[in-house]
Amino acid sequence: MECIAAMKDSAVISIPSDPKYLSVIRSVVAAMGGICGLGDSAVEDVKLAVDEACANVIRHAYRGDTGQKIVVKFRVIAKRFEVVIEDNGVKAQPHLIAGRDLDDVRPGGLGIHLIKRAFDVFQFDERKRKGNRLRLVRRIGGGQ
Amino acid sequence: MKIEVVDCKGVKVLALSGDIDMYSSPDLRKELMHFVHKKVSPLLVDFRGVSYIDSSGIATFVEGLKSMMGYGGKLKFVGIPEKIMEILCFAKLDRVFEIYGSIDDACRN
Repeated sequence: MECIAAMKDSAVISIPSDPKYLSVIRSVVAAMGGICGLGDSAVEDVKLAVDEACANVIRHAYRGDTGQKIVVKFRVIAKRFEVVIEDNGVKAQPHLIAGRDLDDVRPGGLGIHLIKRAFDVFQFDERKRKGNRLRLVRRIGGGQ
Repeated sequence: MKIEVVDCKGVKVLALSGDIDMYSSPDLRKELMHFVHKKVSPLLVDFRGVSYIDSSGIATFVEGLKSMMGYGGKLKFVGIPEKIMEILCFAKLDRVFEIYGSIDDACRN
């Protein structure tokens, strides 16, 4: 793990693209979610979703290379919990990202459903030239 | 994640604890497939100590179940925590896996 930097209601963490560091990400997501006012159930949902998104970076963007870097940024703006995940790996093709039909029981294809279940916004920033920047936003309050 | 193999009245039980994620699921897969290749049935998985599971952990169990179905084997889940049950229901896997409240219930059925 490289560093954690924080400003008011925001934090940045950088981890190696190694699955053993996913537990670190989960701990930070849970802590930030709680600080930012998410309820317990919502915290569990966003923790799982960010873990899934980072696992996708390791699996797809870095193709299993554990020596790369993943940067995860958290912030709260106007009752929205925002998570931005950045990598320098292979570009995702958003139009090809789709989970499996949940009625089609087979291994794989569930992660994307778990991400979209937890966040209201799932959006790749197409302005990033190299690698990917995935922006996830969840509204705070209401039915959480 | 820790995996303990327990023999309960002749039934094999995988007692799991901790987090099942992309890092630990290969170990789980290795242990599960060890019993699948031996065509063990029924095989119980005790989730009472599991604090977290991601899609790679769930995929491991789906793969194990599909392999066991090839020889008519039964994969039974016991003591699933509420949050994990919620994920299984969301993924419509509560209809696919046999889920019981206790090891005794799983052994009786």
